[in-house]
Amino acid sequence: MNEKIAVLMGGQSLEREVSLMSGKRVCDALEAEGYRVLALDVTSDLTATLRSERPDAVYIALHGKFGEDGTVQELLEFLGIPYTGPGVVASALAWDKALSKRLFVADGVPTPAWVTFTAAAFKQMGAATALDLVPEAVGGFPVVVKPSKQGSALGLTKVDDASGLAEALLTALSYGDTAIVEKWVDGRELAVSVVDDPQGDARVFPPVEMEPKSGLFDFSAMYTQGETDYYVPARLDAATTEAVTGLAARVHRLLGCERVSRVDMVVDPSGRPYVLEVNTSPGMTETSLLPMAAAAEGIGFQELVAHLVRSTLEAAR
Amino acid sequence: MGTARVVFDRWSDRYAQRMADVRSSAVRDLFAAATRPDMISFSGGMPEIRRVPIDSVINATASALRDSGTEALQYGSSEGRPKIRQVVVDLMGEIGVRVKADDLVITAGAQQALDLVAKIFIDPGDVIITEGPTYLGALQAFSAYQPNVVCIPMDAEGMRTDILAAELKRLGPRGAKFIYTIPNFQNPAGVTLTPQRRRELLDLAREYDIPVIEDDPYGRLRFEGGHCLPLRALDDEVIYLGTFSKIFAPGLRLGWVIAPRPILAKFLLAKQAADLCGSAFAQTTAERYFADTRWRRVLQDLTRAYAERRDAMIEALSEHFPAEASWTAPEGGFFVWVEMPAFLDLKSILAEAVERGVTYVPGDAFFPDGRGRNCMRLGFCYAEPDAIREGIRRLAEVLEDRLELYRAFAAAGALPTVDADERG
Repeated sequence: MNEKIAVLMGGQSLEREVSLMSGKRVCDALEAEGYRVLALDVTSDLTATLRSERPDAVYIALHGKFGEDGTVQELLEFLGIPYTGPGVVASALAWDKALSKRLFVADGVPTPAWVTFTAAAFKQMGAATALDLVPEAVGGFPVVVKPSKQGSALGLTKVDDASGLAEALLTALSYGDTAIVEKWVDGRELAVSVVDDPQGDARVFPPVEMEPKSGLFDFSAMYTQGETDYYVPARLDAATTEAVTGLAARVHRLLGCERVSRVDMVVDPSGRPYVLEVNTSPGMTETSLLPMAAAAEGIGFQELVAHLVRSTLEAAR
Repeated sequence: MGTARVVFDRWSDRYAQRMADVRSSAVRDLFAAATRPDMISFSGGMPEIRRVPIDSVINATASALRDSGTEALQYGSSEGRPKIRQVVVDLMGEIGVRVKADDLVITAGAQQALDLVAKIFIDPGDVIITEGPTYLGALQAFSAYQPNVVCIPMDAEGMRTDILAAELKRLGPRGAKFIYTIPNFQNPAGVTLTPQRRRELLDLAREYDIPVIEDDPYGRLRFEGGHCLPLRALDDEVIYLGTFSKIFAPGLRLGWVIAPRPILAKFLLAKQAADLCGSAFAQTTAERYFADTRWRRVLQDLTRAYAERRDAMIEALSEHFPAEASWTAPEGGFFVWVEMPAFLDLKSILAEAVERGVTYVPGDAFFPDGRGRNCMRLGFCYAEPDAIREGIRRLAEVLEDRLELYRAFAAAGALPTVDADERG
């Protein structure tokens, strides 16, 4: 074993800083495993560097646009370099929350009611004149307004009544051309990580429960230590844990995720789970949810990273 | 089934209350994304240090070590070396403030002076008065001591003294611990307190018996118009903060505070507790740099460069920015303040600006209470004129695009069309 692994990190996405933290930790883990590691900040030299360095595989530690939406995956397939994480289609589907929610509904996966708006619908079609219909469409306030395609809860606002809706939409649409207004489900917020085992079967890690002190798991709650309490495994009864775990595996397969995904959900007080979204490039920082879940399963960070790379290399053989 | 709360930081319940407000900010991360080569930054307040002739600094440093090496490398006095204080005395004399070396203390940049001033004056819950918006670093320094900050709005003539009068009346005599002002080319607003307002401010401070802190980092960077006498020149009781950062280099971390003797004595005690004394090495180097008369030419050259950049920015704003925008007209300093219609959240729009290759600082950073979201600070100090024009053009596109959306909401009655101006 002495394969060369390129770790892609940074880039120009709005989550650059988080990605650099993830990438640094992944590099350390791979070096400790004995791989030759090439840490690459994504710039316009990326393609030339990959062609000359010819790594055996790429670890995608990118978060956000172009790293998580299928762009870099498409490029790596074109260059013939195997990469960690789901493929082009699964990435693109998961990245677009409006699209993946439609798939959930079509497949009977519970997800909170929502409506989708594009900037063009407001600018060119007068959609703002129909905002009064939103509460009925989603089942009343409160709602969460967020960009359809963005990570780390950037641009996310909880709205308690009609007066804040337009402003929240303006905010969400600053992060992308599509926004969704989703019914707020009160309950326990969960992140359920799924990693394919060497046989290709989905293995679901214990659910992690997030309890943000502010009540809203937004960017600040995610990345400020002490702002959120985490519980592993989540404080759920056995039946609910089983339901949640089964749902995560189902969603992982539904979107066609390979090797890894993190399914974010909320469980209402009656124990009914709702799927919010799927992440195909989960964070790997000190406070990230996938490493936390793996640790609860007795799998250390280094082992987790090594498994993801090894299965990528093996699949390519 | 056992469940465990995950502990990242086992000291998290031990930190002081004053740290509770310090949160991770998405805006900070957006700036981290702003590192691509063609990024045009209007977010910084960094001086154009490339124009400071490095040979002069090398000579100053070498002579500092050659002639006074043992002093430069030793602990110094807490108030600062006599020679550097004399340099400050001479600099102050040139702007109309007559002081003696004993009237001032050298600090680690003016930022340390802000921290120490807060330390000696503010108890939790005390009222302090600042301009609104005001210098972000001052808010950070003050907030650690948990004051209640009252912001006084500004117009083209600086702090609105009529509103200050009303606030002081409400608060009563000695109702605030101090009034903090940046009278020249204010950071972030870019406006200058007029001579008449200066007198009004001082009269009010006297009437209500409240100390005035005058922060003057940019005073010597005037592009046009007459010099305004510092508040300290009009009233010996004023606490004056100065810095070498904009007339020489911020890397030396040298500033000063001028204050009435009793306050200075307290200040010195606080300074000793903080760092015993400033860097004798930096002070010695600055002494030598200012002994060489070429520093004046450098400063002139710098000021001319900043003026060109200001011109480039103002011209580009007039040419490209939407009609809904208004901005200030700085006669010096580093910054232009832009105001957009209320309800336009420039904090979230920053995400789009970064994607298009331009950055600014959203206005709410300069208020203690979340106001100013519809405003932004544009620094013209660092980018070259051509880059400034291109950056303003890009920013205008972003704003125009957002405004189109805003207008669509307003036309549907989903957002108010009136420009509800919370700044009065």
